[in-house]
Amino acid sequence: MNKPVNKIVGITALFFGLFCQSLLAAVAEYHIQLKDHLFLPSQIIIPANQKVKLVIYNQDDTPEEFDSFSLNRDKVIFAKNKATIFIGPLQPGKYDFFGEYNPNTARGTVIVEHQKPKATDAN
Amino acid sequence: MLINTVILFLRDALPIFVLVVYLYVHLSATKLWLVLCVVAGAFLSLIYINQIHVIGQWFDGKGIELSLWIYQIFVYLLAVVLGYGLNQNQSSNKHSLNWVAGLMVSLTLVSKGSNFVLYFDGYLNQSNAIQSMLLGTFLGLGICLSLAILLYLTAQWLKQRLGPWSTWLLVLIYVTGQLVNALPLLVQVDVIDATATAWSSQHFVSNEFEFGHLFNVLFGYQAAPSIAQVIIYVLALFIPLVVFYSLKLHSASHSGNK
Repeated sequence: MNKPVNKIVGITALFFGLFCQSLLAAVAEYHIQLKDHLFLPSQIIIPANQKVKLVIYNQDDTPEEFDSFSLNRDKVIFAKNKATIFIGPLQPGKYDFFGEYNPNTARGTVIVEHQKPKATDAN
Repeated sequence: MLINTVILFLRDALPIFVLVVYLYVHLSATKLWLVLCVVAGAFLSLIYINQIHVIGQWFDGKGIELSLWIYQIFVYLLAVVLGYGLNQNQSSNKHSLNWVAGLMVSLTLVSKGSNFVLYFDGYLNQSNAIQSMLLGTFLGLGICLSLAILLYLTAQWLKQRLGPWSTWLLVLIYVTGQLVNALPLLVQVDVIDATATAWSSQHFVSNEFEFGHLFNVLFGYQAAPSIAQVIIYVLALFIPLVVFYSLKLHSASHSGNK
């Protein structure tokens, strides 16, 4: 008697679980390369009011510190290594970032716009 | 490279200088205490840096942020212990309070000093960078020392006028600021979600400017703090003050009854 109910509950739970998992995993990733003390791309466009994940690859032989006053972020990226930083949700606007060890060359901007979320890859 | 080195000193060395000066005045510490703290802190920094790649892999790449946050929690708790020691007001406590203060300096040296080791380790082998790095080091040290002397005189003056609670309050304000400064570390690795901004005073004093740097070190000034930062700041600052004030009133009423 309870079998159909159990099935419905089971399917609903499975669907809900998958849906929730996809919601949790729906943090867009943006990839940046650091090469010759330059961020590539130096401009990243991300959607407004959403949390996103920045993955920064340091291809140089020296460490660098990703730093941004407006984003309030500060992370060391070791030589030939990668680092992950979460930013947002942010209001539309421009948010500068720089490499603390090479601030004259390693500079970039996160541009926050109203748009549909779309992950980009510098590769 | 010169300017980078100077800025690095302002950001990472100045907090160490400020804490050392405050504690030196607060405890009327000896020069031996100072030397021991710096040596112990430098030694711990080297151990930390030696293991930083391993620590960085912990907790799915969140190890460095979590360890730095834990250091700040410890430094804050040790400052509260200093306040408790002051409340007890026993001369036998002085020795143990010196140890507490020494541990505070050592932990701060680990969290802030590790940045220096990384920087110098990465760039010292570049022959064209050595001269400007050395010059930047002298300039940065000069600025930090000048500010430290000014703060030393101010703290001495406050202690003479208002007593040891005033210098402890300086320490508490400083460690609360550092605790709040460390909160974005947890946000950036997605451990907590505290992104809602309380206000923005970016147009008055930006964190990018010299005064922004200085205020950030002295009392944790943030041009655009999150609501979580404001709540933690208020709680971390006022709870010990209220508790110690009540304890003082309580002990005063007890001694009055006797």
